Amino acid sequence: MTTELNKEMLLRAYRMMRRIRDFEERVHVEFATGEIPGFVHLYAGEEASATGVILQLRKEDYVASTHRGHGHCIAKGMALRSMMAEIYGKKTGICGGKGGSMHVADLDLGMMGANGIVGGGGPLICGAALAAKVKKTDNVAVCFFGDGGSNQGTILESLNLASVLQLPAIFVAENNGYAEATASRWAVATGNIADRGAGFGMPAAIVDGHDFFAVYEAAGEAIQRARSGGGPSLIEVKVNRYFGHFEGDQQTYRGPDEVKKLRETKDCLLLFRGRVTKQNLLTEKELDQIDEEVRNEVEDAVAFAKQAPKPQPSDLLTDVYVAYA
Amino acid sequence: MRLGQKRLVGIVANPESGCDVRRLVSCASVFPTSEKVSMVVRVLAALGSFGVQGVLMMPDKSGIAAGVLRATLSHSARAGDPWPEVQFLEQRIEHTADDTRFAVRAMLTAGVRAIVVLGGDGTHRVVASECGATPLVTLSTGTNNAFPDLREATIAGIAAGLCASGEFDSSEICRRNKRLNICFDGRHEIALVEVAVCRNRNIGSRALWNPEDVSEIFVTFAECDSIGLSSIVGLLRPTSRDATEGCSVRFNHENPVSWVSAPIAPGLIKHMPIGSVRSLPLGQQIPIDADYGTIALDGEREIEFTAEDNAYLSLDMNGPLTVDVRNTLELAAERGLLASRTSHPPTHIKGDQQDDY
Repeated sequence: MTTELNKEMLLRAYRMMRRIRDFEERVHVEFATGEIPGFVHLYAGEEASATGVILQLRKEDYVASTHRGHGHCIAKGMALRSMMAEIYGKKTGICGGKGGSMHVADLDLGMMGANGIVGGGGPLICGAALAAKVKKTDNVAVCFFGDGGSNQGTILESLNLASVLQLPAIFVAENNGYAEATASRWAVATGNIADRGAGFGMPAAIVDGHDFFAVYEAAGEAIQRARSGGGPSLIEVKVNRYFGHFEGDQQTYRGPDEVKKLRETKDCLLLFRGRVTKQNLLTEKELDQIDEEVRNEVEDAVAFAKQAPKPQPSDLLTDVYVAYA
Repeated sequence: MRLGQKRLVGIVANPESGCDVRRLVSCASVFPTSEKVSMVVRVLAALGSFGVQGVLMMPDKSGIAAGVLRATLSHSARAGDPWPEVQFLEQRIEHTADDTRFAVRAMLTAGVRAIVVLGGDGTHRVVASECGATPLVTLSTGTNNAFPDLREATIAGIAAGLCASGEFDSSEICRRNKRLNICFDGRHEIALVEVAVCRNRNIGSRALWNPEDVSEIFVTFAECDSIGLSSIVGLLRPTSRDATEGCSVRFNHENPVSWVSAPIAPGLIKHMPIGSVRSLPLGQQIPIDADYGTIALDGEREIEFTAEDNAYLSLDMNGPLTVDVRNTLELAAERGLLASRTSHPPTHIKGDQQDDY
C-alpha cells in the first residue's frame, strides 16, 4: 500500500475536506443566529480523519457516526443541501427534518447515521459487518467513535464481538483529547485507546489525524484487511476539534491560545495544500478554484435550507413504522 | 533535600512508540502504555536500590506519567526500598518529538548522570540528537528495533544506577555509537541505525514497512539477528556496532543481482532484490540520488524531497554514548560493588555522593 494518489484522488480529497470545513464553519455562524434548533457538535479540525477513511470506501460500505457526525456524512456523499436542511429541521432535509444534526442518516449511501448515543455506532456496524460477511458481499463497515465513546460498554462489547466473529469491521477512534469537557488523559485508563486492541486480539495502530496521508495509509490497510477476510482493526486517530463540544460550549477547560495554535500549526487543509503544491502534484490555482466552488456550494445550501418549508404536524405520523413487505 | 543536590537520572518514555501502522500490516504487537509504566516502575525500583535519589521524567498526556505517579504514591504508602523522588519536567506537551528534545535539554541542565530511554529506534534518535556526552541506557518498547536493548527494565535500572554512581569512567562501561548525518535544505538530522531512500512522496503514517518503495539504504551497523530494514544488510554483510565503517545497499527491483529474504517487521519476511552492496567509510559525503521521495530515518519517513532539493549524508563516530549493561554489571561484580561484607543485606551503592535520607 503506498500513498501515491493520482491527481483526481488528490483533488477529491481536498474537496472533501474543504466541504466539511466550510460547512462546519458556516453552521457555527448560523447557529449563533438562533435559527438552527437543537444541539450541533462541529467536526472542524478533524476533516482528515473522515476523508482519509471514507475516501477509500464504496457506496455499499457502511459507516456509523457519532454526535459529531457532519463530517462523516459529507464524506460519505450526502448532498450539502439536504444536510443543511436537515440541520435546520426542514421538511426537505435528508430525514425530513426529524433527525436534525445528531440523527442525520442516509441508508442509501451506507450512512447509518450520526448518533446521539455516545458509543452507539459499534453495535450498528457489527450488524452491518455481520450481514456483509454472511452475504459474502465483501463490503466493510466502519464505526467512528470518540475518546468518550471508547469508555462505553457498547464499544468494548462491539470490539469483542467483531473479533470473535472476525467481522469486516474497522473501528476508528477519533481521539480529540476531550470527552465533552473531560480530558481523555484523565478518563481513558490505558492512555492510548489503541492499547485496547490487544485485549480483543485485534490489530491496532495510532495515526496523526491532522495528516490526511497518514490516515489514508493506515485506513487503507485496515479496509483491505477487512475486505479480504482478515478481520477487524482498530485505528486511533489523534486529532483536535476547533470548536467546543457543542455550539455554545464556553470551553473553559482549554488553554487560551490552544485552538489558535491548532489552526496555525495543525490545519489538515493547510498541511495538505503545502505538501501537494511543493511536490508539484496540484497547483495553488486548482485548490483555490475548489475553495471558490465549495464556498458557493455552502452558500447555496444555507439559502436552500433557510427557504425550505418546515414539517407540518401531520408529518409526525409518517416515517414511524417500516413496512417490510 | 532539594532535587538539585541529588544524584539524578533522567527517564524518557515515549508514549508514541510501539503503536504505529506496522500493527496493521505485520504481526507486530501494540506496546501498551501500561507496560511502559510497569517498565519505568521497575527502573525506579532498581535506581532506588542503587543509590539514585532523584529522577527527572518527561511528562506526557497518554498515561505514562499518570501511571508512574499512581505507582509512586502507592509505593510510598507501603514499606519497601526507597524509590528515587520522581519529578516530572514542567513543559508544554505537544506530543511531537520536540517534547523529547525539550525534556532531554532540561535533564542535561539539571545535571542528570544518565538517561534511561524507553522507546524505539526513532525515540533514541531524537534523544541522541540532544544528549551530548550523557550516557543513555536503552530499552526497547517496540518490536521492530535494532538500536535499543530488548531486556528486563530492572537490570537496565541497575546499570543506570551504577553509571550514575560515579564509580566508573564512562569509557569503561559505555560504547560510543556511530551515526549518520543527513543534511537537507539547511536542516541537519541524524540516524542511529539506517537511512532509507523511499519513493513515497509523503511521510504518511511515517513507519516504513513496504520495501518495494525503498531504493537504497545506508546503515551504521547491521546485525544478522536484527529486525527491520537493517536486517537486509545484516544478512548480506553483517556490520558490527564497533566497526569503523557502515554499509549501503542499493536495490534493483528490475534486474537484481541477488535476493535476500529479510525480516522487515515482526512476521513479515520480504524478498529483497539486491543491486549492489558497498562499504560506507567514515566521513565521506554521499548525495541522495533520487528525483523525489522521502528519506526515512531509523524506520520512519521524516523528510519529503523533490528534485530541487539537495540532500546528502555522511557517517561519523559521534553518536551517543550508550551504557553496556552486561559489561557494567560484570565490572561492578569484579570490583565487589554488588556484594556486602557485613552481616546485613546491602542497601545501595554509595558512590561519590553521600546520601542523607
